[in-house]
Amino acid sequence: MNTSDPRRPYVRPMAGWWRRNPFFVEYMVHEATALFVAAYALVLLVGLRRLAQGEAAWNGWLEALRSPVSLVFHGVLLAAFAYHCWTWFRIMPRTMPPLIFGGKRVAPGVITACGVAATTACSLVVLILAWGATR
Amino acid sequence: MDAWKADVAIVGAGGAGLRAAIAAAESDPSLKIALVSKVYPMRSHTVAAEGGSAGVVQAHDSLEHHFHDTVAGGDWLCEQDVVEDFVARCTEEMVQLEHWGCPWSRKEDGHINVRAFGGMKIERTWFAADKTGFHMLHTLFQTSIKYPSIRRFDEHFCLDLIVEDGRVQGVVVVDIASRRFTLIQANAVILATGGAGRVFRENTNGGIVTGDGMALAYRHGVPLRDMEFVQYHPTCMPGTGLLFTEACRGEGGFLLNRDGYRYLQDYGLGPAEPTPRNKAMELGPRDRLSQAFWYEQQKGRTIDGPHGPVVHLDLRHLGEAKLRERLPQIYELAEEFLGVDPAKTPIPVRPAVHYTMGGILVDGRCAAPLPGLYAAGECSSVGIHGANRLGSNSLAELCVFGKTAGAEAAAFAKSVAHGPADVLLKQAAASQQRALELVTNASGTERIATLRKEMAQSMEDGCGIYREARSMQATCDKLAELRERYRRVRVEDTSSVWNTDWLLAIELGYQLEVAQAMAWSALERRESRGAHQRLDGFGERDDANFLRHSLAYHAGADAPRIGYGDVKITGSPPGTRAYGAAGERAEQERAALPGRTGEANRG
Amino acid sequence: MAETTGNGKVVRIEVLRYRPEQDEEPFLQGYDVPFTDDMSVLQGLQYIKDWLDGTLSFRWSCRMAICGSCGMMIDGEPRLACKTFLRDFPAGTVRVEALAHFPIERDLVIRMDDFLAKLERIKPYIIPKEARTLAQGEYLQTPAELDVYEQFSSCINCLLCYAACPQYGLNPEFVGPGIMALLHRYNADSRDGAAAERMEIAGSEAGVFNCTAVGYCSEVCPKHVDPANAVNQNKTRAAGDYFLRFITPKGGAR
Repeated sequence: MNTSDPRRPYVRPMAGWWRRNPFFVEYMVHEATALFVAAYALVLLVGLRRLAQGEAAWNGWLEALRSPVSLVFHGVLLAAFAYHCWTWFRIMPRTMPPLIFGGKRVAPGVITACGVAATTACSLVVLILAWGATR
Repeated sequence: MDAWKADVAIVGAGGAGLRAAIAAAESDPSLKIALVSKVYPMRSHTVAAEGGSAGVVQAHDSLEHHFHDTVAGGDWLCEQDVVEDFVARCTEEMVQLEHWGCPWSRKEDGHINVRAFGGMKIERTWFAADKTGFHMLHTLFQTSIKYPSIRRFDEHFCLDLIVEDGRVQGVVVVDIASRRFTLIQANAVILATGGAGRVFRENTNGGIVTGDGMALAYRHGVPLRDMEFVQYHPTCMPGTGLLFTEACRGEGGFLLNRDGYRYLQDYGLGPAEPTPRNKAMELGPRDRLSQAFWYEQQKGRTIDGPHGPVVHLDLRHLGEAKLRERLPQIYELAEEFLGVDPAKTPIPVRPAVHYTMGGILVDGRCAAPLPGLYAAGECSSVGIHGANRLGSNSLAELCVFGKTAGAEAAAFAKSVAHGPADVLLKQAAASQQRALELVTNASGTERIATLRKEMAQSMEDGCGIYREARSMQATCDKLAELRERYRRVRVEDTSSVWNTDWLLAIELGYQLEVAQAMAWSALERRESRGAHQRLDGFGERDDANFLRHSLAYHAGADAPRIGYGDVKITGSPPGTRAYGAAGERAEQERAALPGRTGEANRG
Repeated sequence: MAETTGNGKVVRIEVLRYRPEQDEEPFLQGYDVPFTDDMSVLQGLQYIKDWLDGTLSFRWSCRMAICGSCGMMIDGEPRLACKTFLRDFPAGTVRVEALAHFPIERDLVIRMDDFLAKLERIKPYIIPKEARTLAQGEYLQTPAELDVYEQFSSCINCLLCYAACPQYGLNPEFVGPGIMALLHRYNADSRDGAAAERMEIAGSEAGVFNCTAVGYCSEVCPKHVDPANAVNQNKTRAAGDYFLRFITPKGGAR
């Protein structure tokens, strides 16, 4: 009776795992939006290089930024940033030690809301400063 | 057939089995301990215990109080010397669990907290929210990992005990995943397989609670004691039987009939007061509460639900915050399974079978009459529950007597030598053969589920909350018929890997025999006591004839032979069992008798 | 003969079958099951087992979401079958498969020795900070101290979080969310003094840094354990330990 082992566990393949569940798709989109952050950093880096190359180069870069393609691209970047920011703060309560305030745990929703509020406030401040500086 | 030589083999890895394994390992680290379970240990049914575990801690409480509550709660069918030992050791075991990490609920000052429980005079129930069994089980399981001498046989099903030369010498187990058979040779065997509640239709028990250990011991001539005493828990989910812990009432919940009336005051449990009073109303013992439900049903004062009549467990006045803190699991069960928010709506409940008071006959050292065999926990009858168990005594029992069984079995194992392996292997091979015949029996015609369903219905019909000779006899006859039909049981699955069809058939065999022990013990007990209540002219307790333990002896294919054994009385002569205001009067009278108080504390 | 059910509603349960002695690979088999609104997916499977096909294998016991046996993929999500209800599948079909990311032993039964082996490795027991005899009574622990670890002690080992963790699926060496929750449970217990030993596992190659904060483990946890939180709290701690050893003489917290 005990001669051979009849067990033959079946291991399922992982290929295409992220398409199996909407949650994973969302996660991949979140991760993908990080690429947009990198893309914008690249745009700024190019600007820095142009600045170093002299006034004409710098003005050319500014001109390029005003092109319709660039404006659409920045619109896309902004949307991706907003999504990345929102999903990042949504997972944040899961990544930190319990926050005790007045003897009670701060609810995850509150932490997310605070994060998003802080980001919005910072963005507004930068926007106002930039706007003031360019006038 | 593989063979493995152990010193102590333990069957069942719930609370009692794990505690026994740890005790055996601690008593002598050189002993080899085999811990066999048909499920992974953390799946064992201890996991489902909710309310708590008893242990005297408060200054105004005493061991004597716990002793009297337990003995009176058991309607004086307890082994009183064993109860004395039990109550004296509960608290130490609870502290031990605390040291091992059990997350007991605490008071603000950091000391453990206790709550009120049914039939207990003073709050002495330690609790971990309403998941006490879960936390105890995981604490014990995870702690057991510390001991290298414990070898677990997870998901191994026990098929038989090996009895040779007048003593137990091992067990035959089969690996569920591969159908490999193993003889575990052991000089002492501890059965810790839990109860047998699944022989009834509506019950609180997990699917694994099939009386395996009881049947194994019983088949080898060990009597099953007090099997007629089966506890109906009064507050269970209609249909599924899932449990709403007694702690719901300990925290202040009410039981209401269709008129919103706290009907328990009509059954000698009053007066009804707005806050919980120990040993009164909703904090009466389980047998009385389930019986009161039955009467309400007869009077047409219950509420009709899709799964039969119900009453209401009303927790609304406790408020959501307290319910979420003290009864989080209950809250979720009500919300998810019934769609009821207990802070806003009463929970429909009805009694369901919960606990087997009887079991394998063992003495206070957990030793069965068969040398080398020990038992602990619900599968055993060590004698502390009598005719009705008090809530929170069974979790404590797992620890107290799990420890005893482990230590005693270890000591016995060291006192004898291993028998000749070839003889034992031959026996084991025969057991293997018998088990496999179920699969190879191609001519089988009887569906497992049909037999099981008929058994469970018949047990409910004949051995329910109230019983009479005619219906009990009908159940006995039905069980005989089912055992006969079981010989033609059909196992559809013939494969070797995870063949649960085959295991269900074996379990059904165990269940049918245990059910017979219950039904015949019940039929023969012509009195009413604790959870055994008769309507056919035996409505009173009859100490002259039945202050005795029933003993069911296996008789092959025939009905069991029922014998009787004495009850050990030490500090508490049989008295009136009363609760509520009447109970308080009875207690004052008892205290007034000379020479009574303090006896239970001796030794 | 078969059990009768009330309202004539029928659900089609499609089960991923795999019988290692017969089948090369898993396949879907459908069963029509009469049901009532209070029936769980588990009860649906029991109906199949009892009345339609005795060869179907699955684990179950308590029926009340505490024993952790009946985790499976239900319409692609890791769920406990006992607390997923047939009424919640209005399309009339529900697909049931063995928990993802584990080898299938047979039908809905997965092989879970990996989890047990990992559990044994993390020393899942109190190693006391200070010794105390039973006669001295319990360790004092305030409700606030209890609150720090209690949620992590509520893990029922149902493995839903592992089936929700793609990183575990891609690299089974990863200790994974459930075990990290239990590791953290002991490290965060005021009575325990062996956090440093356990952090070696948390900070190891197979440890917390395999986690990419997908977070689905905590979404599917039926007991609100939040294993993602346990993993990520320990990322901070493991990183701290790593850098501390450069600046403290004896390797810091190891």
